[in-house]
Order: sequence, then structure tokens, then C-alpha cells
Amino acid sequence: MKPLRIIFALIAFSITTTAAAFAAAELLETGSSLVYPLMNLWVPVYTKAHDVKITTQSTGSGTGISQAVAGVAQIGASDAYMSDSQLGSTHMLNIPLAISAQQINYNVPGLNDVHLNLSGPVLAGIYDGSIHFWDDAKIKAINGSLGSKLPHEAIIPIHRADGSGDTFIFTQYLTFSTPSWKSGPAYGTTINWPAVPNAVGANGNPGMVQACQGAKYSIAYIGVSFLDQTNQAGLGYAALQNAAGKFVLPTESNIVAGAAAKDKETPKDERISLIYGLGANSYPIINYEYAIVNPKQKDAATASEVKNFLTWAVTGGQAKTFLDKVHFIALPPSIVSLSKAQIAEIGS
Amino acid sequence: MATVALSGAEKRRSRVAVLDIGLRYGTTAMALVTATIVFLIATFLIVYSWPAIAFNGFGILTHLEWNLGNQYGTGVEHRGGFTGSPGASFGAVVFIAGTIISSAFAMAIATPLAILVAIAMHYQVPRRLKTPVNTLVELMAGVPSVVYGLWGIGVLVPWISSSVGPFLAAHISWLSIIGSGSASGNGLLATSFILSVMVFPIMAATMRDVLSTFPKIVFEGAIGLGATPWQAVTTMVLPAIRTQMFAAAMLALGRAIGETMAVLMVCGSALNQLPQNVFAPINTIAAVIVSQLDSALTDPTGMAERSLSELALILFAITLSVNLIARVIMRGGDRVKRTA
Repeated sequence: MKPLRIIFALIAFSITTTAAAFAAAELLETGSSLVYPLMNLWVPVYTKAHDVKITTQSTGSGTGISQAVAGVAQIGASDAYMSDSQLGSTHMLNIPLAISAQQINYNVPGLNDVHLNLSGPVLAGIYDGSIHFWDDAKIKAINGSLGSKLPHEAIIPIHRADGSGDTFIFTQYLTFSTPSWKSGPAYGTTINWPAVPNAVGANGNPGMVQACQGAKYSIAYIGVSFLDQTNQAGLGYAALQNAAGKFVLPTESNIVAGAAAKDKETPKDERISLIYGLGANSYPIINYEYAIVNPKQKDAATASEVKNFLTWAVTGGQAKTFLDKVHFIALPPSIVSLSKAQIAEIGS
Repeated sequence: MATVALSGAEKRRSRVAVLDIGLRYGTTAMALVTATIVFLIATFLIVYSWPAIAFNGFGILTHLEWNLGNQYGTGVEHRGGFTGSPGASFGAVVFIAGTIISSAFAMAIATPLAILVAIAMHYQVPRRLKTPVNTLVELMAGVPSVVYGLWGIGVLVPWISSSVGPFLAAHISWLSIIGSGSASGNGLLATSFILSVMVFPIMAATMRDVLSTFPKIVFEGAIGLGATPWQAVTTMVLPAIRTQMFAAAMLALGRAIGETMAVLMVCGSALNQLPQNVFAPINTIAAVIVSQLDSALTDPTGMAERSLSELALILFAITLSVNLIARVIMRGGDRVKRTA
């Protein structure tokens, strides 16, 4: 009798829980693994005060975009904005939720506690195989007195094997700073990586951290929300050369400066790259994290829940208590009002 | 009393008859279902991959380059009546080569070990240890592949990178498959090693079962005539059951070819280049389908997704031909045995 009773209890439980779920509207957010930790901070706080159930998933930006377009998810999270050809004839909103950055990590014993200087052309050389060794003249030239400490060891460039918004922004930096990269591999969430014998592909940001930590003399690009992990792993991170020629670290003020440089250029549909902006202190690899939303939701109730949540995300959700934990930066006021205007377009 | 027993027996007999008929039709139906499922999978793959088959042509079997094309550029590319993103190129040579080479290396490591362990399990292990040893090997076969993958990332890859690679490079670097040693530890050697660890228990367990079908009296007779156990096994037992042993190895090869998760975690996900030595990163068909799917979903032309489906079709064809070849060889082996 006992197993039967357990089954009945389970059935009763599932009926009551589905009934409870039906009472409130249900939203599904899916996509970017960089946005996922932020959603996990936002959703519990938001749903406590509002009668709505929000499910969050970390599936990757590509899945986020395609499921938002297909109508499976109400909110698709993506590190990259949708291109003209991806939008095609569909009308999808690209709404920035926060500003993220990316650091270039490296594992060079003895130099992990200082910050090496790296530039777009040098990184392009490392990733296209024309720069083989850490003591290459081009790396030495931009590192001053540190140059003599660079070892004669082969560099292991690590890139993402899966489709990734991080690949998107990293390759944009190379594209905008280096003509040969622009006419070669260019940028995208997956690109045609040049054949470099030592190169390694890794999966996800955790895989990048692991691979970089595991392989001496390697280099990797990793989302800023993993900065705590890369520091724990003992990896170094580089100061990057910005468009003004200055080498800058991914500090909060440098990221804010970088975002401010692109603030006024941001168009109404907010699809813009923040990479390699002008300004003396601008950190060069930064991006908006996007919510990809269909302006035509299936019914009025869903539309208003999506609007309410996103409006909260770009206002109350911008509090430092949320963003600091994942090293994201709040949207500047002008971007918040652009985002609000886009959110207002959501209907049914 | 007697009549009751008789009618009981009758009832039982008629029930047995019904069960017999049920079994016959039931098993026939199930056999058909199996065949239909294989047929449906093949049909689905071909239909779904059709745009890619037309778009890529034979290029998919000859090109090294796997490139979704520029999704942030303008325009599209037309080929074979279908469209892809500008600059798109879907070549599967790297993945096909990676799949075959890593599986071949894995089999080379695992097969001799599995044969020895199967022999040991059947002939050498004392009776009271047999059950625990058998259970252990079967448990090994049941460990989820992601567990092997985690062990690969956490232990195997760093070990290859810091010890195995430098050691081999220092001592036998003249051997071109060793080259200048390992860089990151991820790659062909790590993949083959993990695959061999995964297929070894399956092979050992099936081979032990094959050995147990061989009459023990022949082995004991050989010992009685003065053969050493090694001579008995190598001259009497193994030649007699070699086709079944081969079938067991093929079963394991099937798993190695299709293994995804553990491979994805240690293979180094090479793109656009073939491995130059045993430490070089590789990629397999199964692993690349998983790692490229998310990006493929963002291709507005949908061609990337279709091309991944074509990769799956190629994997399906490889697995099927391995099976067919195995069957042909086994039939040949049987014929030899019969005429001998």
C-alpha cells in the first residue's frame, strides 16, 4: 500500500502546484550563460514582490535568440545583438539589460600577478599564428621593462569551441583594431579560426578557465562575470590597448568610460557594438547584454508581465547589490530611457 | 480431484498456446518496429539534411574548413539551389578524420587489454572472486560518460600536459607522431585514452561471455596434454572463437565512434586543421555537432543547422558501414571455420 500512497501524494502535489502555477502568469527566459547568474539574482527578488513565475535557463545566446523568435521563450538573453540578416523580415526588440566586459587572461608563470600589456594587433597575431612565442618582439615592444621577463615559450591560444557571445565581442575587438583580421576571419559567435597548431577550443567560460589554468603559457578570453574564478585560478589578466592607444584594465571606471564613449551613438533600436570606443580611459572589450523580445506576445496578460519585468530590470534591477556580484555595470540613464521606449512597444 | 487437475492442465495448455501465438506476433512486431525506427531515422536525416547536401555537394567530404559564414555581413550565398551565409563553407574532413583516428587509437589500446582481462576473468580468477570482479567490470561499463570526461579534464589532461608530453618529447621526439610534445594536454592522446577506458569494460565483459560459451573441457584437455595455460588459450581457445571476439570488439568500436560528451571535454575542439602528432587537438563528428549547435541556430539561412544534420548523417553512415563490414568479416570467418 505504501508505494501507492506515495504515488497519490505525488499526483496530488503536482495537481496543486500546476494549479498554483496557472494562477500566476508564466514567463520563460533562456539564453546567454553570462546573463544567467544575473537572472538568478533578479528573479527571486522580483517574483517575491510580483505574482508571476519566471523560469530562467542557461542555454547559450543562439538558443536564446532562436527560442525568442520561435515564441517558445518570452525573453531570449544574448550577448550579441541580432544582425540585419538574422532579423530578416521578423521584428524583434534588442533591449540592453546591463553592460558587461571581457578580460584577456593568461597563464605565464611569474607574470600572472602583474598585468601584461596586450593590443588588438598582437592578439590577432597570437590567434592567427603569426606570433608564436611569448618573447616575440611585438609583445616585448609594448611591455617596457616587463619585456625582458617574457619567456621563450610557445603560446597556446584558447578559443571557445561552442558558439559564444564572448567570441563575438573578442573577435570584434580584433576586427576593429586590426585590418588583416577584418579582411580575414572577421567576427561572429563562431568564426573560422585560423589553423594554429597549438590552438585549443574549450567549452563555456568554465571550460576556458579550466583550460587556461591547466595549460602553462596559454591565453584565453573570458567574460568579466568570471573574474572571481580566474583570480582564484591564479591567472593573470592583461591591460588592453584602446582606440586612444592607452593600455587600460577592466576596472569599473574604465568600463563606464568605454560605455560613455558609445552612449550618444546608440541608435533607437540599440543594436550597436560598444567595442573599441574612443576616449582616453575606455576599456575596449565591453558590450550590452540583451533581452531579445518579440514585440507581439501571445496575449495581453503575457505582454504586460514581460513589460513589467523588463521595466523593473532596467530600473530597480540596476542596483549595485545585483550587478556588483557579477561585475556588470549599470546602464547609463540615456540608455535606460531608450530601453524603456523599446519595452513600451511590447504588446499582443 | 482428478478432473480438477485435468481441467487445470488443459487451461494451462490453452493459456500456453495463447501466449505462444502472442509471443510469435509480438516478437515479429517488435522486430519490424526496430527495422522501421532505423529506416525512419535514416529518412529523417536525409530529408532534413537535403538542403545541405545540395548546398555542400561533395565539398563536405573534401574540405577542411568549417565556417558558418558571416552572419553580420550582407547578402547570402547561393549554391545548389539553396542559400547560406556569405563565405559559408562546410567541410567535414577534420571531424571525420578525428573520429576515425581517435577510435582506431582507442581500439589499439583497449582490445589487447580487454582480451587479457577476459581470459583472466574466465580462467584465472579464483571462483569466490569471480562475482566481485565481474560486477566491477560491469560497473565500469555503466559509468556515465560525463564522469569519465570530468576525470579527463581534472586528471588526465593536466597529467599529459605536465608529465607524459614533456617526457615523450624529451626521449623520442624524433618519432614524428610525438613531435614537440604536448601543449595543453587536450587532444588526440587524451581522447583516445579516455575512449579506450570507456570501451574496455564493455569489450572485456562481452569477451568474457564469449569465452564462457567455449567448452571448458577443451581448455582442460589441452592442459591435461601438457600445454601451458598460455598455449592452451592462444592455440586452442582464441582461434576457435576469434569471429565472436571480433564481434565484441566491433560493438565497442561502435560506442567509441559515437561517444560525445567525454570526447567533447578533452578533445581540444580543433577546427580547420588535421592533427600533426598525438598531442594535437582533434574534433569528432559527435563532439562538433554539440559544440556548434548553438551558433548554428543563429544562422538566418538555416544552412548551418542543416549541415550539422548532414554531419549526423555521415556519422550514421560510418556506424552502419562499420557494422556491415564487421558482418561480412564474421561471415567470412564462419565459412573458413566450416570448411576447415
